[in-house]
Amino acid sequence: MDTLAALGHGFLVALTPYNLLWSAIGVTVGTAVGVLPGIGPALTVALLLPVTYGLEPTSAFIMFAGIYYGAMYGGSTTSILLNAPGESGSIVTAIDGHAMARQGRGAQALATAAIGSFIAGTIATAALTFVAPLMVKMALLFGPAEYFALMVLALTTVTAVLGSSLARGLASLFLGLALGLVGIDMQTGQARLAFGVPELLDGIDTVVVAVGLFAVGETLYVASRHRFETEEIYALKGSKWMSREDWSRSWKPWLRGTLLGFPIGTLPAGGSEIPTFLSYLVEKRLAKKPEEFGKGAIEAVAGPEAANNASAAGVLAPLLSLGLPTSATAAIMLAAFQQYGLQPGPTLFDNNPELVWGMIASLYIGNVLLLVLNLPLVGFWVKLLLIPRPWLYAGILVFSSLGSYTLNNNVIDLVILWVIGLAGFGMRVLNVPVAPCVVGLILGPLAEQQFRRALAISQGDPSVFLTHPISAVLLIIAALLVIGPMVLRYRGNGAGKSDGASPSGSHPAT
Amino acid sequence: MTTGRSMRAGEAVLGGGLIALGGLIAVETMLTPSVGRAVVGPALFPYLISGGLVLVGLSLLREAFAGAVAHAEGLELDLWAVALVAAGLAVQFLLLDTLGWIPSTTILFAAVSRAFGGRRLVVNLAIGLALAAFTFVAFNYGLGLNLPEGSIVERLTSADAE
Repeated sequence: MDTLAALGHGFLVALTPYNLLWSAIGVTVGTAVGVLPGIGPALTVALLLPVTYGLEPTSAFIMFAGIYYGAMYGGSTTSILLNAPGESGSIVTAIDGHAMARQGRGAQALATAAIGSFIAGTIATAALTFVAPLMVKMALLFGPAEYFALMVLALTTVTAVLGSSLARGLASLFLGLALGLVGIDMQTGQARLAFGVPELLDGIDTVVVAVGLFAVGETLYVASRHRFETEEIYALKGSKWMSREDWSRSWKPWLRGTLLGFPIGTLPAGGSEIPTFLSYLVEKRLAKKPEEFGKGAIEAVAGPEAANNASAAGVLAPLLSLGLPTSATAAIMLAAFQQYGLQPGPTLFDNNPELVWGMIASLYIGNVLLLVLNLPLVGFWVKLLLIPRPWLYAGILVFSSLGSYTLNNNVIDLVILWVIGLAGFGMRVLNVPVAPCVVGLILGPLAEQQFRRALAISQGDPSVFLTHPISAVLLIIAALLVIGPMVLRYRGNGAGKSDGASPSGSHPAT
Repeated sequence: MTTGRSMRAGEAVLGGGLIALGGLIAVETMLTPSVGRAVVGPALFPYLISGGLVLVGLSLLREAFAGAVAHAEGLELDLWAVALVAAGLAVQFLLLDTLGWIPSTTILFAAVSRAFGGRRLVVNLAIGLALAAFTFVAFNYGLGLNLPEGSIVERLTSADAE
């Protein structure tokens, strides 16, 4: 009952006209961002951080949550009509969604995506409402050793799960960890790897790295491939409504997608890619006409889109209750919390209930707003796809440099942005995933802090990580995730070459 | 056209770069005198991470020469466009303090537009100028942020005042 009372209080916070306005701005910006190719939710939250300096944290997070959910809705529009996923959770949707658009059934594909997103988002937000307090109770059992183990697990899963090879994922992760070392050590005040540059003493900003990788690196890559790729946009035509058959083929995939998306989202497994792939596979197996998959089956749009949105809610559970980001967007939101001097976790629920519950309540409201924005008004968003690419990408870089410069009013940040952007281009060409770098940058210093705290408590005895049962189990799972694929590949080599092309090989803006 | 061989070279560069970065971190950490008497000092994690970088770098090098690389069949890249975008950003951060936000950002906008095949230079400059001016006004007067107006402009306006 406590939870319901807290949620009710949250609704009072979220329903004030002022916060409602920020929620509406968030979902609108989020939808636009999701629709536009080249910008994802992580980048948008990063770019909006400097703008929100003067804002109440509650209103800022209500807006960020709206952006996050909105981008999940908007991403489906791009993948269905343009066959260029706007963000990584929409890769699967693009397969059958674009096939439907080619057959003139784009409106139905958009409708099943929007309604499925609404249903999944609402159910998953309800699940978040009740799971988050439980996770807070669990978090109270955690000491530094357990937190360290949990962060190691999160770092390994994000790395092992994304990208085409473990070595490339690890390369990205260690790059992020190395960037995280720069600056003053939090416990001793000693400068590390600053090379005498005073601007580096504060460390390298997560925002600059995220913008460099997601905006500058991505823009450089698109510029390099632009001449060799053609885009086809399919106009919406014919009946806008889903037929009775569409409904009956959609509702079960919606629910199954939700069931897959939320739990996997709460696990440290890298956000929305895995649940969408799983949902696709499940629907294909259960479908009456599996031969339609790949050629425009509505189930293959309904299921993954629901899973995508449910996982977005799932990701928020460990972020709010443990301070553990499991996707790039969550990593940026953690940076936003740090900007306000807030530490997600049990203390956040105790000290800032109006922020936590206001934000959760705003997710329910945002879902309703998004259904309205995406069903009747979808024609407007489609127009965004017509912005000429030269101006779109030039604009993205203008806002990227604006966001990075205004963090500290410092040209050095623009130089760092440039270097990271070039590195990001190289990573993109070599198929190195960028999300582990961002998560490593923000989680690395936190993991180090917990590690040293744990050893200070145990007076230098490193066995604490294995004698505490929770910590031991988490570390063993993490080790299995790294070693397991190596063993499988070693064995697989005898039977036949494992295919190097994993489905997540291409990774658009997250 | 970038061939499969240059993709391998690229991966080797990445591997070599990670090894070099690992070495740099190790050397820099060795040269930094340690302060504090905590059980675990501030040097442990740099050493661990530099070790990790070297190991990952080595395994990438092995992959580059013997294993599976991305786009082994080659990937067409328009490097001229990449250079133009990179140059646009470099010009912006080099000129930002002197010329100010509006001119340097206008140049950036025009450079990126050209890299994406926008051929109408005057139109691109005009749109860039409009966007730069709009953001300057909106962020400096609306949101209270400090986009630079440029040292040249400041000198001119202060000369006017005298």
